[in-house]
Amino acid sequence: MSTPLISVENLKVEIKTNRGLLQAIRGVSFDIHSGDSIGIVGESGSGKSITLKAVLGLLPSNAHVSSGKIFVAGRNIAQLEKKARRALLSETAGMIFQDAIAALNPVITVGNQIAEVPRYRLGQSASQSRQTALKLIEQVGISDAESRFDLYPHQLSGGLRQRIAIAIALSGSPKILFCDEPTTALDVTIQAQVLRLLLELRKNSGLGIVFVTHDLAVVNEICDEIKVMYAGRFVESGTVHSTFNNPTHPYTYSLLKAAPDPDASVHRLFSISGEAPNLTEPVVGCPFAPRCFTADANCLIAEPELLKIAHSESACYKSKDHDMWAASESKSGVK
Amino acid sequence: MSQEVIAATNLVKHFTKRQSLVDRLRNKEVFNVPAIDGVNLELKKSETLGLVGESGCGKSTLGRILVGLYSASNGSIELNGKQVGQDRSLEERRIVQMVFQDPFSSLNPRMTVGEVLREALIFHNLATKENVEEKSKNLLTLVGLPHDALKSYPRQFSGGQRQRIGIARALALEPKILIADEVVSALDVSVQASVVNLLMDLKRDLGLTMLFISHNIAVVRQVSDRIAVMYLGRIVEIGPTEQVFNNPSHPYTKLLLSSVPKMTSGSQISTAPIGELQSIKSALVGCRFRSRCPVAIAACASVDPVLTSVEENHQAACLLVK
Repeated sequence: MSTPLISVENLKVEIKTNRGLLQAIRGVSFDIHSGDSIGIVGESGSGKSITLKAVLGLLPSNAHVSSGKIFVAGRNIAQLEKKARRALLSETAGMIFQDAIAALNPVITVGNQIAEVPRYRLGQSASQSRQTALKLIEQVGISDAESRFDLYPHQLSGGLRQRIAIAIALSGSPKILFCDEPTTALDVTIQAQVLRLLLELRKNSGLGIVFVTHDLAVVNEICDEIKVMYAGRFVESGTVHSTFNNPTHPYTYSLLKAAPDPDASVHRLFSISGEAPNLTEPVVGCPFAPRCFTADANCLIAEPELLKIAHSESACYKSKDHDMWAASESKSGVK
Repeated sequence: MSQEVIAATNLVKHFTKRQSLVDRLRNKEVFNVPAIDGVNLELKKSETLGLVGESGCGKSTLGRILVGLYSASNGSIELNGKQVGQDRSLEERRIVQMVFQDPFSSLNPRMTVGEVLREALIFHNLATKENVEEKSKNLLTLVGLPHDALKSYPRQFSGGQRQRIGIARALALEPKILIADEVVSALDVSVQASVVNLLMDLKRDLGLTMLFISHNIAVVRQVSDRIAVMYLGRIVEIGPTEQVFNNPSHPYTKLLLSSVPKMTSGSQISTAPIGELQSIKSALVGCRFRSRCPVAIAACASVDPVLTSVEENHQAACLLVK
């Protein structure tokens, strides 16, 4: 297999908070190859956004990588000069954020924001970079690029703003697009437009996508692989198809059952009791055990590792019996 | 017998945009943004009506008018067959309560949960100083919170727990009608399910009538008996939930339903073109949806469609509905 575009080994990130040091990411490893589409799901605070930000060096000032290695195109970015690291990252990955209005500069026209990278990083002339920007505006499905070029972000609707943000992310011709909940703030009809655009970009230009979201249905629509994050670690990893049909971690199983299905009415939703653990305190045993329908005393002793099982990887001592979960979950009286 | 407990007739709400001095000096025409533009809606006793639509379509405004937080620019509201005006009596205010979207900003950070509940109970004469604590504890039990929560401040709770406090505050007044405005939008999937289940249980046990406002169509499908779809201040389709989902009749409902990401493997989001609304002003003549509508005909530019029966109890406002 070819060298992965991005390879992360045992990444750990700590965040200083006024309640103490928070272990936001407690050891995650993954590879991204060109053309991959990976969905990272988990609830708020599980560390999914921080993972993306850590890879791109965009961590907030109170957070830092405490251990682990990040390789981009085979090179350890910690050993690169700042300038070389930025150049390498910007030609490898672009990123779009949840809140497009906050990600865009309000006092620069959207066209000039898109033209910035072609102009100053790729060394194009003013007119060349304008042409590049116009092409990008068309590429993200905005008609009438000439007149939109000179608009400011506040003059555009939410869907258009997110498209402009995508155009900016694509302006350095990255091989992977990191997406941090880009559709969460959008209406479903606009979300559908943005998702369709991402699917097209993937199909037409082989763009790799890493999509962070809490919405399982969105992952189902646009990703091939899924990684489920819980309390700063991946607890399950596999293809979307096998994971959705045959989850091997009780958390994934519960999430899939709790997600309301737009195609059917069940009248009573499956709910997961309790809350995610507080990561300012050390994790003992499986972090999901207190909320798990199948956990026993064994689960409270040591934290399970992510191990290969059948077609996926799962961090659960009980994943071998996952075929029997439906029976044990209803017996244990979980509502 | 299904009895209407709250009914809105021809409800209109305009928000006036503040004009700049320059515009006023130029005598520029004032444009009132119609947030709600002629809505007729009845809630029947003990039913849950799901209200869906995009942001800005007026669904929260409608909820707020029904509770009495906004006054309507025009139209009337009847509560239990009696018209209520701008100044609602204490009793009229008590029986319609609301739970808000944001569990962080809808609770006073300087009041303990006990104080929040006590204020509501004492003000409405539902408790005396002697039994207020006991009543508050019963409310906490009802929403699944421990009794020691009374002495805690909202910041000490998670999002899901805060939403339960918001529900307890609304239920403290023993309302007949509960307006739930995007109550689970700010919550994680795992917590969302338990709050939705709680609301459904309470609704059943207390015989509440509920207006469930949400943009999350999947959740609305699970909780609603009937569903109303709003677009630009109008209800464009209304009917029993299963009928609307199985036989969506307004092109906007079809678009909305096909845009929802699905959980079934191999599914693909719709590839139908979705236009975007260009200007509200131009949309106010004829059918409001026509600029985005894939099946619009010439008549849509001039005729304003009214709700027409599709099947029993199921209506849609589209010229193409026969």
